[in-house]
Amino acid sequence: MAPAPMPASVRVADLARRYGSVEAVRGVSFDVPSGEIFGLLGPNGAGKTTVLECLLGLRRPDSGSVSIAGMDALANPRGARHLVGAQLQGATLQDKITPRQALGLFASFYSNGPGAAAMIDRFGLAEKADAPFATLSGGQRQRLFLALALVNDPSLIVLDEPTVGLDPGSRRGLHDMIRAMRASGRTVILSTHDLGEAESLCDRVGILDSGRLAAVGSPSSLIARAGTFSRIQFTTAVPAQASEIVSLPGIVECALEQGTWVLSTSDLNGTMVALVGLMASRGYALQDLQVSRPTLEDAFFSLAGRAWSASERGGP
Amino acid sequence: MVSLRKGGPVTVRATPIIGVIRHFRLSLQLNFRSPQAIVYGYLVPVLFLVAFGSVFRAQIPPLLDQMGQLLTITIMGGACFGMPTALVAERERGIWRRYRLLPVPMGTLVGSVMASRVILVASAALMQVGLARLLYGTPLPAHPVQAACGVMVVTICFLGLGLLVAALADDVPAVQALGQCLFLPMIMLGGVGIPLAALPAWAQRISGFMPGRYAVDVLQRAYGGAQGRPLVGFSVAALAVIGAAGTIAGSRLFRWDTARTLSRASWAWVALALSAWLAVGLCASVTGRLEPVAPSAGGYGRVTEAEIDGVSYDLLPGDQEFVSRLSRPFGKGASMEGLDAFAGQLKDWPPSHESDEAQSARNLLCVAGIADVSEDPHEGEIARLVFDDLRERYGDRRLEQILTWIILYPAKGAAVTSAPELGLPHRFREDIIRERTVLYAKKFLGRLRGRIAD
Repeated sequence: MAPAPMPASVRVADLARRYGSVEAVRGVSFDVPSGEIFGLLGPNGAGKTTVLECLLGLRRPDSGSVSIAGMDALANPRGARHLVGAQLQGATLQDKITPRQALGLFASFYSNGPGAAAMIDRFGLAEKADAPFATLSGGQRQRLFLALALVNDPSLIVLDEPTVGLDPGSRRGLHDMIRAMRASGRTVILSTHDLGEAESLCDRVGILDSGRLAAVGSPSSLIARAGTFSRIQFTTAVPAQASEIVSLPGIVECALEQGTWVLSTSDLNGTMVALVGLMASRGYALQDLQVSRPTLEDAFFSLAGRAWSASERGGP
Repeated sequence: MVSLRKGGPVTVRATPIIGVIRHFRLSLQLNFRSPQAIVYGYLVPVLFLVAFGSVFRAQIPPLLDQMGQLLTITIMGGACFGMPTALVAERERGIWRRYRLLPVPMGTLVGSVMASRVILVASAALMQVGLARLLYGTPLPAHPVQAACGVMVVTICFLGLGLLVAALADDVPAVQALGQCLFLPMIMLGGVGIPLAALPAWAQRISGFMPGRYAVDVLQRAYGGAQGRPLVGFSVAALAVIGAAGTIAGSRLFRWDTARTLSRASWAWVALALSAWLAVGLCASVTGRLEPVAPSAGGYGRVTEAEIDGVSYDLLPGDQEFVSRLSRPFGKGASMEGLDAFAGQLKDWPPSHESDEAQSARNLLCVAGIADVSEDPHEGEIARLVFDDLRERYGDRRLEQILTWIILYPAKGAAVTSAPELGLPHRFREDIIRERTVLYAKKFLGRLRGRIAD
């Protein structure tokens, strides 16, 4: 018998929110068990921030329920705030406040938590602890906001677009921190419109499209569910026979585009083994070989019926 | 305390008070780190002080009659511009959105911002008092406790209006625009920038609908009003009503997020705040408090040292002669016997508590004149009581100006021709009473200046 799943840390049910005539969120439901990194994925305007704001009590939904560790977060928002740490998109601090002061201020509202000094050390802010906020770099600011989110030792951490505007180094550092949060037993819910980030960071993702939750699952299961195929591209020094290529196992689609073979396969391993064998037996040399597995972008295309990049531009 | 991980009951214990205190302290610290806040909170009020000083420094005492206006301007700047600018700037930066996630009601944080602003505004007011003393020799407030209470009352009233400005303004430029909508009318028409007496009658009536007039009244009286006089009840009540309405409306409409817009129903709260202004003005009008103040009111402040020295004491009747009798000082040949009750009545006599101090003094001199003309058995002692009472109320320096003003302009203001409340029921001709008031004014002034032996 399979072990019982851990109790749900967060349960969102039938959440709906309308702004005038616009239905920003339409009946969104999902559960996030303890200790999971859950990504809310969707193009700009999909409703990610509204869902997070309802979860945090910053916005009251028109209908639906939000439960955090069994507590009705809509009926008892102040109580729920003790359980949650959050980093909001676009939030900033006073120019003249120092990290030590900001952490001291936010920590003083809670009876638990590691304290400002510990957070300064833990997030590598010691050097800038007494520097005005305006003088901090983007990465330092992001670390400070993460520290503020953790100042009350929360069990649930909500991060709204946490890596926007960060350089690649800071981005990697932030990913490590988020993984460390999970390792310490916390639940993380983050929103992102970066598919690669969601795929590499999240245990599960929920794909929001026009206010609806189109799919929920692990990145790999969503990709698999979307029924998309791996791609193999290569060229050969001596032209290969099309009949030989098409007869490789798992081949779904095959095309020769300006001297480059482009194959779609449902069995990447089988196709690759057979392709290498064919090339060796005929004495062809494989050149410019590229292999790509299906991604969340492919899954989104399959679910939404349009390309992710078009959604980001607000196109159809 | 919170427990979430690994199941178990969730318990929550809030300790907001430490956080609120820290937020209060931080608001103060950040204010002093902001050059903009220093400029608006301290430098601009000093510019007003210097501007007033350059015009009124020749007065005796310098600037005394403008301190109510100056302090009101200082408080309005900090409360109606400083606080809402800081609040809206923080809201635009998403700081209040972040505060919203804290486990405390937003009202407590707004309250701590307002409390810190009370300290900042009070410190600016104190600075003005000190600088006026230092630069121009302006006397310190005659009634310091009353002045401190007055600063608090006025500050809290204008902070309520500042909170409403912060709630209504979408961004910092809008704060400036809305703040000016409050500030400029009060400066120009509300008796704050231009003295009430210098305004035309219609503007004086309009000023009764604005809190600035009542703020100046409260602060000016505390600064140099009649000694022992209680805080002006109506003005304090007017400020309380206007401030409370502004605070209630501002609290109801306060927005912690720029994305939140005001609904149409929100304007009902704005109407409530403005209706308080209207109610105060109507109440003042119905109770006769908006009667135009004569341009001469307070004019004694312009009396110069040369004018005081120029008063002639020739041909004054002797103190024991038939006209304008004046007893020797009590304890030096004169007795208060049988006059204790009269002295008490004189202190509480309503005509001696007019808003125009020169008129109050003139009324008291009229009492001496009536007693003299009616040949009251205690006419000399009554005149001595009036002299002592005037000194106690205004102090010698100020009284010299008031008496000189009455001597120079004997026909100005009103003259009391009978005082039945004081046991002087007979009515006499006004010109005779005015003549006696001048005689007594000269006798009193001569004694204050050492020109007549007492």
